[in-house]
Amino acid sequence: MQNIELPLVLFTVLSQAAVGMALLLAVRSCGCAGGACAATPTTAGTAGTGGNAPGSRTEWLTATIVMGVALLASLFHLGHPEGAVRTLAHLEKAWLSREILAFGAFAALLAVAAVTGKAGAALRGAAALVGLAALYTSGMTYAPPAMPALHNAAPLGFFLLSALLLGASFGSWFAGEGSQPMLRAVLLGSLAAALAVYVIVPCVWASGGTVMQMTARAWLASPLYWARLVLGIVVPLVVMIRSPRIPRWMGPLVLLGELAGRAVFFGATVHAAMNLGIPY
Amino acid sequence: MTTQQTSLPRQRAFLVDVERCIGCFTCAMACKNYYHQETGVVWRQLYPLDEAIYPHRERAFFSLACNHCENPACLNACPVKAYEKREDGVVVHHQDRCIGCGNCIRSCPYGAPRYNPVLKKAEKCSLCHERLDAGEQPACVQSCPVRALRLVDIAALSTADAANAVQYPAGYPEMPQVNPSTRFIMPRTPRVVRR
Repeated sequence: MQNIELPLVLFTVLSQAAVGMALLLAVRSCGCAGGACAATPTTAGTAGTGGNAPGSRTEWLTATIVMGVALLASLFHLGHPEGAVRTLAHLEKAWLSREILAFGAFAALLAVAAVTGKAGAALRGAAALVGLAALYTSGMTYAPPAMPALHNAAPLGFFLLSALLLGASFGSWFAGEGSQPMLRAVLLGSLAAALAVYVIVPCVWASGGTVMQMTARAWLASPLYWARLVLGIVVPLVVMIRSPRIPRWMGPLVLLGELAGRAVFFGATVHAAMNLGIPY
Repeated sequence: MTTQQTSLPRQRAFLVDVERCIGCFTCAMACKNYYHQETGVVWRQLYPLDEAIYPHRERAFFSLACNHCENPACLNACPVKAYEKREDGVVVHHQDRCIGCGNCIRSCPYGAPRYNPVLKKAEKCSLCHERLDAGEQPACVQSCPVRALRLVDIAALSTADAANAVQYPAGYPEMPQVNPSTRFIMPRTPRVVRR
């Protein structure tokens, strides 16, 4: 197993949690536009922004802090964190530069909503769209040609599922009763999709080229992969099938699963250079 | 075993004659002696060919360093523009600009950029570009005792080299999107002498 790249594990998982929260907040607000969520109490006991618009200041503040911790964690990945600002120098070609720009803009939008406490439809929509764009840049950054198993849409798919799982789990802490069925449906659907994806993808790799097969074997041999599958997907899926709403402990459990899964993503994916001189 | 052409007017590259290579590691040691890399950091390495590729008692080796690709993954992935592709095709890493993000290391399919744990920056073979500019050969090429390693311009290969050179031999990742410039002359099947 290679280095699990802990700072990158934290950066990607936490940033995707923030994107998921912003995305589902925007979706919830669309669902509440007709007044469906009006006069419903929030489970977190926090005041809404007024009217029928969902998204309390606490929720925006939480997303901002999560994104801030993610950006802070990413600095520990650099050999020279003092040069981090220069990562914007190669926007014309490097997906990493674009990723930093997109997540910087996303963090700024979250901070504006958290500070003002008045996130209108435009701000909610902008945060969701910029968050999705940032998610796309992440998917491209972590799909390098050197890793045949990931040099495709798999990272983007993994990251999108992470955003939905974490966004629904943590979003339920703040959502009103009217939004809980929608968040439950999103979480249930995402868990079912994640189960299929995380079982099928290694099987597809196992039928691919030499390096893909090595990646499949490394993933399947990793205890973290099974921990991610059982703790992060199967147990939550069973609970959600039986439960009419998302329990408050679901967020931390899904987060643990995502962290384990991301450690496998960075630590067990085989680099093409490990196979030089061997049939490729 | 396909071979891509280069669209560049000039592309300096290594020609690895696997038939001549005896696996003595002189090229790798010459690189190490010239640049004094940290322990564990190697810019040139020898890879023995697996028996599935070369099923003979006699062994064969790939001597590999940076491939100075036409469309380098390292250059495209670097967020701080620490990489430069010169007019002669050489891909140079400017370590003073590097912030040690490791994105080039993750991106290069051939593992050319390596992490220097002391400087906390990436580094790789820059084809001894200072020596080239001074009219000298790269340290590895100059040191090879059997002339298994040569410096060529693949935009102007000789007829003999063009006829024999292979870009993607077995055991070497086929990555047309980066178009690596290294070329190989493959070993012949050993002659069996019956007693």
